Amino acid sequence: MTAFSRALRAALAAVTIGLLVTLAIVVVSATVARYVFNSSFVWYDEVAGVLLAWITFYGSAYAAARRRHLGFDGLVISLPMPYRAWLFTLAEIIGYVVFAILAYAGWFILQVMGTETLISLPWMPLWFTQSVVPVGAVLFMIGQAASTPEAYARIRAGRSAEMDEIDEEIAHAKKTQGTGDEK
Amino acid sequence: MIAILLLILLALMIAINVPIAVAIAAVALIGTWTEKGIFGFYDAALTIFDGSTNFPLIAIPLFILAGALMNTSGISRRLIDFTAALIGFVRGGLAMVNVGVSLFFAEISGSAVADVAAIGSVLIPAMKRKRYAATFAAAVTSSSASLAVIIPPSIPMILYGALTDASITQLFVAGIIPGLLGGFLMLCLCHWFAVRYNLPREESFSLERLWSTFKAAGPALLLPIIILGGIFGGVVTATEGAGLAVVAALLIGGFVYREIDLKELHGALIEGVSQTAIVMLLVASSAILGLYLTESEVPQHFARWITGVSENKYVVLMLLNVMLFLLGMILHGAAAIILIVPIVMPLVQQIGVDPIQFGIILTLNIAIGQQTPPVASVLVTACSIARTDIWATTRTNVPFILVLIGLLLIVTYVPAVPLSLVDYFFR
Repeated sequence: MTAFSRALRAALAAVTIGLLVTLAIVVVSATVARYVFNSSFVWYDEVAGVLLAWITFYGSAYAAARRRHLGFDGLVISLPMPYRAWLFTLAEIIGYVVFAILAYAGWFILQVMGTETLISLPWMPLWFTQSVVPVGAVLFMIGQAASTPEAYARIRAGRSAEMDEIDEEIAHAKKTQGTGDEK
Repeated sequence: MIAILLLILLALMIAINVPIAVAIAAVALIGTWTEKGIFGFYDAALTIFDGSTNFPLIAIPLFILAGALMNTSGISRRLIDFTAALIGFVRGGLAMVNVGVSLFFAEISGSAVADVAAIGSVLIPAMKRKRYAATFAAAVTSSSASLAVIIPPSIPMILYGALTDASITQLFVAGIIPGLLGGFLMLCLCHWFAVRYNLPREESFSLERLWSTFKAAGPALLLPIIILGGIFGGVVTATEGAGLAVVAALLIGGFVYREIDLKELHGALIEGVSQTAIVMLLVASSAILGLYLTESEVPQHFARWITGVSENKYVVLMLLNVMLFLLGMILHGAAAIILIVPIVMPLVQQIGVDPIQFGIILTLNIAIGQQTPPVASVLVTACSIARTDIWATTRTNVPFILVLIGLLLIVTYVPAVPLSLVDYFFR
């Protein structure tokens, strides 16, 4: 893994965890306000929804950088090498095309939004909340590109991404729980 | 016609390892483009954002955060000790402890693989040391972990509720009787194996040990009671209950047990947000596909096609179960829910099946799907820990899969099993 790839993952993880913690604080505060102080935040539903959308897009870019999005590589890795490489390339291109379209369309929408704002928070422009679509789409493509060498090496070696994830989780669990296999 | 071609294209893209969320977005973009041209892309950008702001889904990252706090603050370990003291003295007790612990913890972090790795890495080596067959240890861990998806809080249920507007609280309540029944049947099966293969007892029963582990686990045992009691009692919503779970886990782990490991917590949070985003991108991209499918009336065509085969509710449910079983063999749970729910819901409503009951049917099919190769990540994880062959383990796992299938048939054809508590509390 390159230094850029490591830095990208760390930055995306920090942003997404920050958003998750903020979301938890918002939900807990709103619950306390409702039950303890018998009042409610008018902005609660809208802001919580936007935070979830931001977690979705920044977290997706992070998951793309780690190649964790759900997929089925059983068929591809069962094929001989030249076909495996071609299908890998085709799948990569499809990913770039889809997110390039979403980045372009998301950016176009921002221009149309003009001075519109959130309903419950009139000082919060919609272009800011919705900017996560084009920004997230570009970050997804960067995350995919940064992890391509690793993913290609795995495909070349005929290793399943799922098996790598399972091995990683088992190694982690054994390390943290201090257990080993049968003695 | 275009819709059918697009669904075939979707299957082809999934087959060549395009991530499922990306494949869904790709066919949805093609579909909207064929109908509206470039404006279809603008619609898609708006829809994918709206799809990811679905309010009930906020419960998913919060339950995942609560699970991360529980796993890293010693709460899990104390509950394992208590379960072992409670049922470990029975013949084959370690297998039963495994069932009990798996039912409670599996799916808690949102990643079935991470949870089975955590539980299995403790219990599978322990079972092997006590002369349990490795395939049996893997099969028990795997199948009981899968059953956990119908025990609340359940992320597949939150997903289903958000997609169908079914009450998540009622889905949680509906999962209780089938979950307990399934757990009981698995325990009976473990006992049968224990007697047949003369499996050992873990240790003799000790009231003193039971009391000391109960005292240690007491605050942790309060956690599900407070959260689920609040949700079931109608005091808080599922999302608020998830927020409450975070606070309770923080208070118990941080102030009562004082064991929260920040480094561990950071790792668990990274995994948690990653899992949330993976599921949420599927939801968001399926919102575009849903828009296209609705405009093309695909669900209505599907309903007409199935009811053309039979209009009998029970036959249709059987056909749906077979379809879901086959899909579960090749798709991960969240992806299967997201792809299938928008297509089959009009049919489900047309034949008069309660959406809450269907939610439990769907969730149980996902549990079975996690046990049936080739896509069976929970089973594969358990096999990797036990170092057993996946097919050999599957042979041992057949009785456990049959328990899950039996439970599915009960839930499908005896609606009172999932619905009696819902009727009692909410209707």
